[in-house]
Amino acid sequence: MIDPLVIFDLLLALGIVALAVAALATRESFAMIVVFIVFGLVSALAWVRLSAPDVALAEAAIGTGVTGALLLKTLHHLRCATGQPGQNATQAQISAPPVPVGVTLANAAFCGLITLGLAVAFLGAPAAGPGFEGLVAQAMPQSGVEHPVTAVLLNFRAYDTLMEVVVLLAAVIAVWQIERGLSDAPAPVMGEVWQGFARLALPAIVVVGTYLLWVGAEAPGGAFQGGAVLAAVGLLLLLTRAYVPQPAHRGIARGAFVLGTAAFALVALLVASGGRVAFEYPLAHAKTLILLIEGMVTLSIAVTLAALFHGREPMALKHEGKDDT
Amino acid sequence: MSVDLSPVMLSIFLPLFGAIVAFMLPRAAGAIGLATLALTTGAVIALARDVLINGAAILPLGGWGAPLGIDLRADGLSVAMLGLSCAVGLLVSLSALSSLRGPEDARQRQYFWPLWLLLLTGMNGVYLSTDIFNLYVMIEVIALAAVGLTVLSGTTAAVRAGLEYMYASILGALLFLMGVGFIYLQLGRLDFAGLAEAEPTGALIAAIALMFVGLALKTALFPLHFWLPAAHANASAPASALLSGLVVKAALYIVLRLAQHMPFPSETFLTLVGVMGAGAVIWGSIQALRAERLKLLVAWSTVAQIGLIFVAFARAGEQGLSESWKAAALLILAHGVAKAAMFLAAGRIKDEIGHDVIRDLDRAPIRPTLAQFTFALAAISLIGLPPSLGFIGKWALMEGAMAAGYWHWVGVTMAGTLLSVAYFSRVFAGFLRFDRVRAPVGEHQGWALADAAPLTLAMMAIALGLMAAPLLGFLEIGYALGEAK
Repeated sequence: MIDPLVIFDLLLALGIVALAVAALATRESFAMIVVFIVFGLVSALAWVRLSAPDVALAEAAIGTGVTGALLLKTLHHLRCATGQPGQNATQAQISAPPVPVGVTLANAAFCGLITLGLAVAFLGAPAAGPGFEGLVAQAMPQSGVEHPVTAVLLNFRAYDTLMEVVVLLAAVIAVWQIERGLSDAPAPVMGEVWQGFARLALPAIVVVGTYLLWVGAEAPGGAFQGGAVLAAVGLLLLLTRAYVPQPAHRGIARGAFVLGTAAFALVALLVASGGRVAFEYPLAHAKTLILLIEGMVTLSIAVTLAALFHGREPMALKHEGKDDT
Repeated sequence: MSVDLSPVMLSIFLPLFGAIVAFMLPRAAGAIGLATLALTTGAVIALARDVLINGAAILPLGGWGAPLGIDLRADGLSVAMLGLSCAVGLLVSLSALSSLRGPEDARQRQYFWPLWLLLLTGMNGVYLSTDIFNLYVMIEVIALAAVGLTVLSGTTAAVRAGLEYMYASILGALLFLMGVGFIYLQLGRLDFAGLAEAEPTGALIAAIALMFVGLALKTALFPLHFWLPAAHANASAPASALLSGLVVKAALYIVLRLAQHMPFPSETFLTLVGVMGAGAVIWGSIQALRAERLKLLVAWSTVAQIGLIFVAFARAGEQGLSESWKAAALLILAHGVAKAAMFLAAGRIKDEIGHDVIRDLDRAPIRPTLAQFTFALAAISLIGLPPSLGFIGKWALMEGAMAAGYWHWVGVTMAGTLLSVAYFSRVFAGFLRFDRVRAPVGEHQGWALADAAPLTLAMMAIALGLMAAPLLGFLEIGYALGEAK
């Protein structure tokens, strides 16, 4: 009798590969994005099966949710720019020059060989090393939190995490400086059902996002996941035009972008006194400091992701939108 | 409560805070940027003094220590690279202040500083890191900031080149990450010390190969150089100088460190690296000979010279790897200083004459003499004429290759040198011919304070060659892992 979970895992693995192939094979942009989103959700499920719920949450929230929204927004702008607004989806096909079959075959053979080589190399590799589990388990009492993933991310290897937040900051600065980034495409028109949905969903999203952040200290969750969920608030506000970015808000937005990085880096430096080095939180305050950092980082991530969705520095536009909630 | 700030931390965190403040206060960004650069340079000088007196310094972040935590380590090579990024960075910043002065540059001025300071954060982070996952995060910081700088000029060509650069850069980072993942899978740790102890299995070599291909993509080693010429040629002058002088060096430095700590892969692998390097030397030179625009020529010469640095790795052989890194390090330093000077000079020439078409350089009635002199000085170091640092680097390379009996690598180096004389001569000819000008030549027009920074850089490229012996001695401090205090 085979364990039903094994069958489930097999189906999951096949499904992921099939969805990846489908996403690559589809020639229609909208369908491609939809398949990609489904692919992300199924991958999140796979992470759950691999007992990595933190990664699953991140994959679902960032890899699928925010990325999907960004892709759809880009598609909307592309269609506006090429004069294919609205539902005329079949015409928005990718118009690349056809690739000769020989090149495709050569590429496929080359990639296949490399993949095969890697597979052979790793199947023949010595058994996996012990990893960090033992070390982490030993150091957990000194970390100030109960969830090992949070301990690694915000204490043992907090420096990596700080720099990941810096990556996000660099991304949003780079996006803001591209002046010609986006056309002034009109936002998609949403019906009244959508407004009602936003009113219902917003409070729930805020609660879920904050909970994810709070629970990160002892269970799966944390700043990145919470921030991505909270970013959905920003997306809804932007889409329903309940909030229209104004040039006057640039200062506040800048502050929100740097808040996480600045707070994180300041805490990391300021704890270095009395024989401690940077990032060495005093044990008595470790949990407070970690939660403080996580809170600030969550806010920054949420605002940054929403700003990336908006896609440009708020400029004085000719047709400024009105609040219509 | 007195906060205990080590220069190691400061050389990473000062630029980070500088970037934050410069982003928050766009009007004062220039002053903040320059002050940050000056302070960071001070921190690096303090660190150099520390290392000179006490040997390599280790800072276990969070007090955990590797392999659980991340250690920062400063030895002679790290500090030399930090010195390169700060010295070149400071002078490029000075020249950026003057070249981004006009009212139409307001937007560039506002975004140049935060992006450049984040870039410096990332690069300094790379030079102090001893952890391969941390290196991945750092090259991501560098990649995004560098793409931002590439598209800063806002022209369609720059945006297009920037997008291509971003694809290449992200693909390179992903390949590197995949290699890191495979290494963690096998060794269960990510620090350099763990790598140094590892047995060279097939799987480990495969992981190294993945990381190497990723880094080759980032540093534009032939045939993965496709993104570089357009990206470097279309950026604005200070951005080009930073991209070509500093950014590609970060990935090169990681290759150098991996070569130091990884188990010896195999002779075939090294030869393959050398062949790619030789291909870069030949192909980059041919393209530089064909280039129609000055900045494009300079960008293609970067491709050729990076190839030469990889030849330095390849000439090593099994026992030679412990020596060839010095030649590679010298070439990295020499190229960083000289290429930054050259891009700034090319930018100045373009500003004064109004175009950078090589064929028409001698038609302009304006002679930006000082910028042309700077260009020539930088070329002397890049070609490798004595007494420049480039000469010392090339000499170290060829000396080692001859000692190991690898005459073919000597041949490649010679060919590369001759070709570089050939393509730079195209530019010199334009500088020197006067007979095509109809109007009287304003020989002393086009001098400006803006020439000071590139000229200083070019003189550094020459003068550092005279200080090669102490420099080599400094590079060796704490190179072996065990010697740290």
